[in-house]
Amino acid sequence: MIRVTALSKRFGRKPALDDVSVELPQGALWGLIGPGASGKTVLIKHVAGLLTPDRGKVEIEGQNISAMGEVSRQRLRSRFGMLFQQNALFDSLTVAENVAFPLRRLTSLGEREIGERVDERLARVGLTDFRDRYPNALSGGQRKRVGIARATVTRSEYVIFDEPTAGLDPVTSQKIFDLLHAEQRAMKSTALMISSDVAGLMTVVDRVGMMLRGKLVFEGTREEALASRDPYVRQFLRGDTEGPL
Amino acid sequence: MRRVGRGIVSVSQQAGGILVLLAKILRRFFPPDIDYFEFKRNLHKMGNKSLFIVGLTAVFVGAIMVVQASVYVQQFSAYAFVGWGAGFVILRELGPILIALMFSGRVGANNTAELGTMVVTEQIDGLRALSIDPISYLIVPRFLSMILMLFALTVYGNIIALFGAAAFGQVMLGIEIRVFFSGVTTMLGPWDLWIGLIKSLAFGLIIALSSCYYGLAVRGGAPGVGRAVNSSVVASAVGIFVADYFLTFLVD
Repeated sequence: MIRVTALSKRFGRKPALDDVSVELPQGALWGLIGPGASGKTVLIKHVAGLLTPDRGKVEIEGQNISAMGEVSRQRLRSRFGMLFQQNALFDSLTVAENVAFPLRRLTSLGEREIGERVDERLARVGLTDFRDRYPNALSGGQRKRVGIARATVTRSEYVIFDEPTAGLDPVTSQKIFDLLHAEQRAMKSTALMISSDVAGLMTVVDRVGMMLRGKLVFEGTREEALASRDPYVRQFLRGDTEGPL
Repeated sequence: MRRVGRGIVSVSQQAGGILVLLAKILRRFFPPDIDYFEFKRNLHKMGNKSLFIVGLTAVFVGAIMVVQASVYVQQFSAYAFVGWGAGFVILRELGPILIALMFSGRVGANNTAELGTMVVTEQIDGLRALSIDPISYLIVPRFLSMILMLFALTVYGNIIALFGAAAFGQVMLGIEIRVFFSGVTTMLGPWDLWIGLIKSLAFGLIIALSSCYYGLAVRGGAPGVGRAVNSSVVASAVGIFVADYFLTFLVD
């Protein structure tokens, strides 16, 4: 279980997170929505131990990751798979090498098995023919799919996806959502997913949270979100131009 | 007054940041935690690919020495002193400093841009998310490669510059190459060579630290990368001249 308690973070004078508390049950797919610069990415970077909060804590299965040193955090992070908003693909490595990178660094698998796992992941995201290309020779959507393949190749217990469908067409987006959902169910992983594609996201999540100006203004099941009378949640889910946002 | 104060605070912050980075790098040597594949890759990229530009610079450093000296050499018929004069200035001063400035512009700027782009595109966070320490994986190999390669390139550049000076001395002043090198070997000692090489190690340290620090400190997307490259090259150049001044006092 991931437990976030009274998490606060400032960058300069600007509060990025303001007293955020939430509990994510094991094996759930949690969607995080909200307008731009509302603190979504900052929150998930705290969960992955990439940022240290000013106040509050993040606990992974009871271990306070916020209070850990870098070495202990590294050990815990090896249980995470993460897709970044900008994909974070390594420019000097080919597509196949990028996907194989976590396996080579974090596991003791042999090259043959690594090759098989990479081929399987690339086939799953439809990039088998692109394995020897470099990231700068791919389109934005293709880079995103390589990022997804890399984030899921280690079959981690926890996976974090920051905008997994940004830059993709609606059909591919839905395929990606379905793929991530199926993967998450098959691996029984706990997943956090940020997406601006609210309609697509709502088809796969178990629970959903909404961030606004650094605060978590809503947290509940998908059904509760869809039935919410909160004006912010309603407007954001419906995409209305009229409202408090 | 306020602007001056802000400037002092900013410079102090940057100097502090560079020292903290140095401490983090040094910590990775006890016990050694270095990615040797990255180390080898950087040695090749920073060293082998700089050979041509350093060689070209060195030839003209030697040539300039002879051109500058030619008027007085001919006036006083001091042909025997050309080898000594050129060797003295090249080995102790001009060779290390010009090669370091060239290295800073080519390798240091490239390193800052590469690291800055990796920050902007979240590749550094990507490494950390994969439980890989960016200092061990990215910074330590670059740090070591830059220091070692600038040292090696200074040795190489010094040799080319001396041969360049000898060749131009023969063409412009008719000084035999044997006479030129006799001036170098009889009037200069090993210490004249070592002073320049010690300086090259210090310059390598300065370029490595400033290029890595400004690369990792990038904020604000692509314009931030441009600003970081600019800061890195300026800081390296200033650092090289300041270090040269103090090292000349200290080791001479």
